[in-house]
Amino acid sequence: MAKQVDFTVEKALARDFLSNFADANGDAKYLNIIQDVANRKLRSVQIELEDLFNYKDLDEEFLRRITENTKRYLGVFADAIDEVMPEPTEVFQDDDHDILMTQRSEDASENTEGSDPLQKMPSEIKRFYEVYIKASSKERPFTIREVKASYIGQLVRTSGIVTRCSDVKPLMKVAIYTCEECGFEIYQEVTARVFMPLFECPSKRCVTNQTKGNLILQLRASKFMKFQEAKIQELAEHVPKGHIPRTMTVHLRGELTRTVAPGDVVEMSGIFLPIPYTGFRAMRAGLVADTYLEAMSVTHFKKKYEDYDLGKDEEEQLAKLAEDGDIYNKLARSLAPEIFGHEDVKKALLLLLVGAPHRKLKDGMKIRGDLHICLMGDPGVAKSQLLKHIINVAPRGVYTTGRGSSGVGLTAAVQKDPVTNEMVLEGGALVLADMGICAIDEFDKMDESDRTAIHEVMEQQTVSIAKAGITTSLNARTAVLAAANPAWGRYDMRRTPAENINLPPALLSRFDLLWLILDRADMDSDLEMARHVVYVHQNKESPALGFTPLEPSVLRAYISSARKISPHIPKELEEYIASAYSTIRQDEAKSNAPHSYTTVRTLLSILRISAALARLRFAETVAQSDVDEALRLMQMSKFSLYSEDRQRSGLDAISDIYSILRDEAARMNKIDISYAHALNWISRKGYSEAQLKECLEEYASLNVWQIHPNTFDIHVS
Amino acid sequence: MVGLPFDCLSNPLGAVRVTFERAIASGSDPASFDGRDWGVVDVLRECLFDQGALTQVPILDHQSIRWIQPNSLVRFRGMVQDMLGNEFYVGAFKDGSTWRTNKFADVASFPMGSSSENRIWERRLLHCVPVPGQSSWTMQSSSESVISRSKKWMSQHREKRVREDDAESCSMAPSNEMQDSPPGCKKMREGHCHSLLLHEAVAEVSSSKSSIEFDTDSNCFSCLVKVYDTMESDVKLNDVFEFIGVFTYNPELMIQMDDEVPQDLYEESLVHLPPNKVPRLHCFIQQKLAVHDFILNSPVTEPIPHVIRGAREGLLDHLRSVLGNDCVAAQCVLLHLLSRVHGRVDSVALGKLSLNLTGFNRESISVFGNQLRSAIQSLLPFTQSFPLTVEYLNSASLAPRKDYKTNRLVTGALQMAEGTHLTIDETQLDSGILNSTGISNARLLKNLLECQKVEYDFEYYKMEMPADVQLLILSDGKSNILPADLVLPIQPSVVRPSTNIAPEALQTWRWYLSSVRTLSHDIDPEMQKVLEDDLVAARQEDRSLGSQDFSRLLTMARLISTSFGETRLTFDHWQMAKELERLRKERLKQ
Repeated sequence: MAKQVDFTVEKALARDFLSNFADANGDAKYLNIIQDVANRKLRSVQIELEDLFNYKDLDEEFLRRITENTKRYLGVFADAIDEVMPEPTEVFQDDDHDILMTQRSEDASENTEGSDPLQKMPSEIKRFYEVYIKASSKERPFTIREVKASYIGQLVRTSGIVTRCSDVKPLMKVAIYTCEECGFEIYQEVTARVFMPLFECPSKRCVTNQTKGNLILQLRASKFMKFQEAKIQELAEHVPKGHIPRTMTVHLRGELTRTVAPGDVVEMSGIFLPIPYTGFRAMRAGLVADTYLEAMSVTHFKKKYEDYDLGKDEEEQLAKLAEDGDIYNKLARSLAPEIFGHEDVKKALLLLLVGAPHRKLKDGMKIRGDLHICLMGDPGVAKSQLLKHIINVAPRGVYTTGRGSSGVGLTAAVQKDPVTNEMVLEGGALVLADMGICAIDEFDKMDESDRTAIHEVMEQQTVSIAKAGITTSLNARTAVLAAANPAWGRYDMRRTPAENINLPPALLSRFDLLWLILDRADMDSDLEMARHVVYVHQNKESPALGFTPLEPSVLRAYISSARKISPHIPKELEEYIASAYSTIRQDEAKSNAPHSYTTVRTLLSILRISAALARLRFAETVAQSDVDEALRLMQMSKFSLYSEDRQRSGLDAISDIYSILRDEAARMNKIDISYAHALNWISRKGYSEAQLKECLEEYASLNVWQIHPNTFDIHVS
Repeated sequence: MVGLPFDCLSNPLGAVRVTFERAIASGSDPASFDGRDWGVVDVLRECLFDQGALTQVPILDHQSIRWIQPNSLVRFRGMVQDMLGNEFYVGAFKDGSTWRTNKFADVASFPMGSSSENRIWERRLLHCVPVPGQSSWTMQSSSESVISRSKKWMSQHREKRVREDDAESCSMAPSNEMQDSPPGCKKMREGHCHSLLLHEAVAEVSSSKSSIEFDTDSNCFSCLVKVYDTMESDVKLNDVFEFIGVFTYNPELMIQMDDEVPQDLYEESLVHLPPNKVPRLHCFIQQKLAVHDFILNSPVTEPIPHVIRGAREGLLDHLRSVLGNDCVAAQCVLLHLLSRVHGRVDSVALGKLSLNLTGFNRESISVFGNQLRSAIQSLLPFTQSFPLTVEYLNSASLAPRKDYKTNRLVTGALQMAEGTHLTIDETQLDSGILNSTGISNARLLKNLLECQKVEYDFEYYKMEMPADVQLLILSDGKSNILPADLVLPIQPSVVRPSTNIAPEALQTWRWYLSSVRTLSHDIDPEMQKVLEDDLVAARQEDRSLGSQDFSRLLTMARLISTSFGETRLTFDHWQMAKELERLRKERLKQ
């Protein structure tokens, strides 16, 4: 047994803390709060253990005693607050309660029999505020499973999803009776959920006179408190494999009522207490105890990137990552590491996760920042796995299939509430994914009518509803990630890409990037696959990847901090982007069978991708390299569709590179081209550095141009 | 000390008490026993396993519950259907100056003073049911033998028991408890307005206590097992366990609910498991059971090569005759019956081999389908089957679902123990419209086939639970709703009336299936090279082959190899797998 604690000493400690604590700005935080309480602006005082921890005269023993016997210390702090409570500095309307209080205090001064404990006014009834002690948020919260019997009576912090909530009911805190005989007010403090009402007046006068005065419960005078019961359940990620989520009962009182609703993911700090059984349960009371958490604070989990709070070590980790130059590749590779290859697709998906900032023009027009990507390809090339992985990484993501969701399931539905018979609006997948990512599998199998609903979402980012007398517009600021099969199930090489892609141009142009993932027949990839399957069967694990992928949590943290940046495009680059755009337009005009529909949307796409790339570098301005990479990705995405075409056109890679360089040099009226520039140009067209080198050597040997031996700069003769 | 002052089998709580007192007497701090045993389990283990008393412990089921005495030692074999979380109870308390324990009991055996020192401990509540689809031959063979023995034992001990009760003033027998608990409860509940009611109720129960009326039948028999001092990871959902513990029955707990004001959130899950329907079992020892634990009297203990080969031939013959002399189908069914999930990599379940036998119509299904089903039922301990119809899909609840009103996991057809065999008859499927339940059910089945996982519905989120179910689909054409690993059109030539199989042969086959299934398996590096080359060559020939086909081929090779009782893949077996695959492909083309 611990040594006896002297609570008057504890109260002095609490009082000392309340009056002397200064926060980071040097303000007396708690005195200010208490002044607000005195002025009836606030109804609760929340004592944060973290403040107590940072307090200059920190007494660790005191802190420990508070966490281990929190319920008792609530009273201690309330008493301490009563003592430091100042006079109100502002006038406020007296309500019934105050009038009653004044009367009572007058009564009390007249009354000399104040020694009777039942007639003494409990301090509880005078208080018009509540005291909460909030646990420190420094450490990781417990899962519900980890809250064990040894924590009974202690302050714990746990997280879970709210599954049920009761109505808010009044809970009696102090019952007040008046005696018919002697007229005294009798007070009874209620500490449990159930109490035994008094029937006989216990006042001295009645007892000595043996009148057995009849007591009448004064409901109006008694003090009640709002009370709500809720159940929280373990989050799916905290449940060990092969187990069922645990639940915990939570009691919410006073100001904390109505702060949670079923489905909310919350973090709570509270006191873990046993419930005394009543009625017939009392038979078992000695044996079994139910427990509950008396809530002290409720924090809702935010599922948006913007609200993602970084831990200290996470910040360090990110800083380390950001220093590393290769972050773009590293992050991209860590997406779905078990899926082999597809580097560029993964890069594009990474950019989809990062997105570009939304722009709102002065005239109220909005330009979306979300990137839309469509993956198209043969069955069995892991499209769905990619989609599911992205949804897992995204803090807010919805996965749905085109077939499984009708237009209503995607956008919104008007439904009749079975209980109230009112019409209610229920958001579909796209609305639920607001500020997140919506992955739609089997995009091609969607009905035409359902697909039209997507048009609005993808450009205006709203969902308009005109059903059953409800006309409204819901936000759907979501990035759409679609996966589709080619028109005839498999990609038919004999047909044109446009025939293979079975989607209307109006929809296609809304996608920033469109990838075709084909299952090509080559020995190496076959061997790779065979090896993988045999390895998996032999060792019951995936073969080593050759690099350690970043944890999804790290990815999420990096992306969320990247999303906080809103890069702008410097003046110098405007010209560059404009010329790049016009080149694409001209190329398209020249070719007799345009593959793509280059529109202003394309230009916006370039800007979006560049901005996303700048965000990844944590840069405030977009650099030329970002634009080049954006153009390269767009080109690669086109090549994934039309590479067959290119081969047919008869130009081999080397001569094509030569013509690109020659044209560029001619356009810029220069005869010297730096190697870096050349590399930029050709990579935009989807060629590799090795091919460039080959081209340079070949044409240098023909004396078409001279190559600088060290810098590889080109001098066209 | 000579002998123990209690009988482990009829009075296990005596053992609990004596060992506890002994541990306290030797100077142990009662607080140190939180989550730890003080020696009672060791005593019981010695008694049950070393002295062989285990066979005398009756098995608790819907029949034996009528004659098993409360507070005696029982065995219960079942599947963990739901986990009700932890229960906090006063594990030890001070009665005057002596420490008492409440471990392994529902009610305090001694009146507890309200202010006495006590220690709160935890125990886990598991809701267990008999394994779904358990074949009758496993149950009968296990209980028949024990019942006869137990009954004999019961009659022998009954008299002795009465004498013990008289002698021991603080015995655990229900008659004494009755007199003990009311005063204790009354004290605790002083000032409560309900106390009158309690007296009435107790009186009523006391008068009728001699005959415990259990309202149970075989369909919904379940048991609430209270488990102590175990690691959380030891017991998982859907695991099959044998629990050995005290069967308790306290009639006064039965009437607890009637007078309570219903408080919407206050009700706990136990309310829906009243003790007269769901017996309580305080578990001392739990053992995880595998499939082979259900096969009794195994003829051979060591897998000897020629015995295995013999059993394989015999079983293959039997399957062939069941399938109308279709040799390829018999081989596929054998491999299918031997399959089990032996590993999971990412989303792939290794080792599963679901089978889709096609070519059945409504006439032939009644002949071959039923024969096959009963053959499988007589071979495997856990088998289930259901017809796939539009109505069934639209109405059945396949996935277990959490009911927050009762705080229970409502079971579904797909909550099955590891190693269950499931036959789905698709021949009765007609065209029709699926509603949302139907779509989600179809998705569940597909997911089970492809990943061996079942999504449990927790309303606010879904949780995937790994499963290990052998799926056999009988259909007319290739089933598109249920894409199985192996699709094989059946080509029966003769219809043979089902012959009676010798029980010894059946026993051998059962033993063969269960023991060969668990064999480990390995592929040599040289063999791996051969496999890789063969697979690449196959893919060069046929572009439609994917990693799933490769995976299936390797699984077949593995199963063929283990069906011969070998733990290493040989070239011959690999050739056999390829040959079987070739024959199968040929048939598909026809």
